Amino acid sequence: MNLNRMWRRYDRLLGADVASDINQELRFHIEAKAESLMAQGWAEDEARKEAERQFGNLGALQGEGERIGNRIERRKRLREYWSDVLQDTRYGFRKLAKSPGFASFAILTLALGIGLCSVIFAFLNGALAPLPAVPEPERLAIMQAPIPYPWFKTYQGDGEAAWKAAAFMSPAPFNVSFEGEGSERVTGILVSPEYFETLAVHPQLGRFFNTRSEREGSAPVVVVTERFWRTRLHSDPHAVGRRLRINGSVVPILGVCPRGFFGTGTGSLSVPDLFIPVTSNAAIAPELRDNVLHRNTQPAFWLLLRLKPGTTIATAEAQLDAETRHLQTRPQQKGKLAHLMPDGTVMPLPPEARAILYIFYGALVLAVLGLICANLGGLMLARGAARFKEIAIRLSIGANRFRLVRQLITESAVLAILGGFAGLATAILIFRLLRTVQGDSNPLLDVLISGPDFKVALFTFAISGLVAIGFGLIPAIVVTGLDTADVMKAGLFNGLRGHRRFGIRNLFVVGQVMAAMTLVLIAGFIVIGAQTGSKVDPGFDSAPISFFSVDPTRDGLTGPECAEALRRIPERLARLGGVESVSLADGPPVSKSTPDTKVSVPSIGDRSVAFQRVGPNFLTTVGAAILRGTDFEDRTLLMDDGSGKVLPIAINQVAATDLFQSEDPLGRRIQVGEQAYQVAAVVRYLPRTILGGHAVPVVLAPLTLNDLQQSDIEGTTVVIRAYTPVGIAAINSELAAIDPRITIFHPQTMPEYLSEQDRLASMITASYTPIGVFGLILACLGLAGVTAQTVQRRQKEIGIRIALGARRMDALRLVMGEGIAMVLSGAVLGFLVASGLARILAAISAPMAQVIGPAASAPGLTLGIPSFFVLLAAIACYVPARHAATINPLIALREE
Amino acid sequence: MDATKLEFLRGTLDVLILKSCVWGPLHGYAITSFIRQQSDDALLLEEGTLYPALWRLESKGLLQSDWGLSENNRKAKFYRLTAKGRRQLQQETTTWHTYAAAVSKVLAAEQPNRPLAEEIR
Repeated sequence: MNLNRMWRRYDRLLGADVASDINQELRFHIEAKAESLMAQGWAEDEARKEAERQFGNLGALQGEGERIGNRIERRKRLREYWSDVLQDTRYGFRKLAKSPGFASFAILTLALGIGLCSVIFAFLNGALAPLPAVPEPERLAIMQAPIPYPWFKTYQGDGEAAWKAAAFMSPAPFNVSFEGEGSERVTGILVSPEYFETLAVHPQLGRFFNTRSEREGSAPVVVVTERFWRTRLHSDPHAVGRRLRINGSVVPILGVCPRGFFGTGTGSLSVPDLFIPVTSNAAIAPELRDNVLHRNTQPAFWLLLRLKPGTTIATAEAQLDAETRHLQTRPQQKGKLAHLMPDGTVMPLPPEARAILYIFYGALVLAVLGLICANLGGLMLARGAARFKEIAIRLSIGANRFRLVRQLITESAVLAILGGFAGLATAILIFRLLRTVQGDSNPLLDVLISGPDFKVALFTFAISGLVAIGFGLIPAIVVTGLDTADVMKAGLFNGLRGHRRFGIRNLFVVGQVMAAMTLVLIAGFIVIGAQTGSKVDPGFDSAPISFFSVDPTRDGLTGPECAEALRRIPERLARLGGVESVSLADGPPVSKSTPDTKVSVPSIGDRSVAFQRVGPNFLTTVGAAILRGTDFEDRTLLMDDGSGKVLPIAINQVAATDLFQSEDPLGRRIQVGEQAYQVAAVVRYLPRTILGGHAVPVVLAPLTLNDLQQSDIEGTTVVIRAYTPVGIAAINSELAAIDPRITIFHPQTMPEYLSEQDRLASMITASYTPIGVFGLILACLGLAGVTAQTVQRRQKEIGIRIALGARRMDALRLVMGEGIAMVLSGAVLGFLVASGLARILAAISAPMAQVIGPAASAPGLTLGIPSFFVLLAAIACYVPARHAATINPLIALREE
Repeated sequence: MDATKLEFLRGTLDVLILKSCVWGPLHGYAITSFIRQQSDDALLLEEGTLYPALWRLESKGLLQSDWGLSENNRKAKFYRLTAKGRRQLQQETTTWHTYAAAVSKVLAAEQPNRPLAEEIR
């Protein structure tokens, strides 16, 4: 058989031409047939015709042949491609197995970096997940600001064609007791009867509210969540109809929500377990008092809309806007009056907030990825340099450059994919840990930290791919762009022509130092800021102080009963053994730490202060020293609403400087809304911001009868000063003597309370320290790697220098000098980037500003972190650089 | 019965083509000649059937084609049996022999002693 290989080569050169192949094949057959017919004595023309006739439809045959041929060709190309990929992958694995140190370092780096990005993405993914147990959540929208109930009625009536509407109030505490047991505070929300219908949720047990049964003023009923039913009612199948005592009223359970349902979000992390119709008589909740359903001036309701098909957020907004203009009594305002946002996600976010969130976390992810890429890219380049000769040989014997680049990238892709798996595992581990800590306490958090799902996995591998290209491509191109003759001639390590001060390798190092510096500084600012804040000094000795809260209106007491009970509590408790002093306040001592109340000071202007209302003896009870003036407390105010009077206040030193500058504050007047106050004392009382720990200007005003009759969400705090601990039982029996309905909640000692604030700081420390340490370690390792490689590469040069009489110190200085120059330039750039980022962070979020503020402005810190960083970097540089000094010129030069 | 009108039983064409290539690569024309000669002109393979069958076998990976030169020095496409094709051929041959033997046996049967219908009863 005479097979000619030449045809195959020819075939490969031009690529296969299926059509002409088929044509030639069939032509050959026809000719062979014709020849054989001619041999039997046919005339040439006849023979040819006969041969063709036997084929039947030649065109159709040709067509079929091309179809099959193309399929074969396609399959062949694909097989070749995959076999190349497989070969590269196998080669990549073999190379990595040969340097397990490099491989494990790279995978660890990738695991941490990619894991960090996955965690960030998984959080965002959780926050933007669709509401659980609600059908078609994407059609839900909520108005961004609360409205009065009558407005809701108008919107509901006028917009029937465009939406179904419901209204609900913000989550509030309810005092709930189960047949005979003591009461607990449970979060619940008051909803309009259309609430469940609008959400299109159906009960697991019993029924939900409807407009026919739930009429205004009817007896209260309650719907509970599945979680409440499971944990508090022990999954009682006959729970419907059971009675709970809620805020003093007996309330039958009407229905149980489906599993996972927690209403819709308002952006708050607290989620309800109880749903009570707003139409219930007002005794059920203080929020319903004062005829709130009929007042146009109390914007206490969130408007929830389920948009009908064909209605978009924009059209709904326009319609609401027009209606709002009619509703508003004030002269026509300009601009949009109604702002809607989608409410179908776990954390509803207005589009602008979503954009900021994306930008901030996007930048963080990019910084981390950039750092990994720079680090691993540098290392890959160093490894590539060690393989110069191998690559040069392969290039010079005709290896395809593109194929070589692909092979080198396959190596980084193998690493990145392994790193992606490790990163995903890290993220899963972190979320598993979070879930263990969280337990079963909050269904919203459950969704938020449900952890990596399919989308997160996809994201993880997408960024792994990006990283693979990021740290693989540039080194691959540099390495394969070698001048082969040069490398072969010059020997192993002088592949890159000459030594460039601003070569790509050095840029990698500078970029890496910069990214690491940025991460370390930002993390440092936040951690140090949080630490500073945690050392809270309230301005008085916290040891003997403890407190608890009561909320008699939610225990079913009327306003006057409530005021009477609160007046008597301090008197009765003061009689207990060991108790020195008892007082009331509208929150724990130094808990009011946000300057959110506007006061106007005559001839100075408006200032913001924290505002706390306290009862008689408060200063004595907490032990706050009076620096100037006299005790301002007035016992008679507890019986009096104080209207029309100028009330005495105490302020702290911070407020004294803030409000009156250098003038004497005593006797000065200030105005808060309608109420006038006069400064009676300056005291040492220092609430601090939770993050950052700045002392806050505070005004202590007396509690009045009005305050005692109303009830805010936190209830009223009873503060006790006692050197021997007072038992809860003793307190309970005293309270029972006043009114058996009163229950206490949140009992705590002052030191406990302060250390809780520490816990927040340590949480922040725990989450940001790893980021900083991660950056630091990466930068040092990368630097050490690159320096080691520089020493190796310049071995011959250094050898010659030493042979010519350079001292060993000079060799060391040569290598170190370059390293330090790179570190310094990277550090300066990183410092600039970090300062800029800190400013952006502070602008985006107020708590961040509080944290970053003090750290970023303290010169000790801003200099301390970079110095420490540069020192570490110098050490990382020095360790491999030492080798430069030990180079033996004989050995170094013999290599040739 | 007219020998030239013998139809190929379904499936037998493939195995005959595979068999033709068992001793080495052949081009399409040589395969038709081989089958015709070996069957003493009883089996006549039409070109319109042969080529699609060849291409299908190639696409299944049972045959592999290469360009080569024919006996009179013309460029022709040669089909070679792959390892997979060889295995397939062995299998099909065995199946065919078993089948043919069984069919022959039944066709050569003589009348049983008792009528079949009785045995069933």
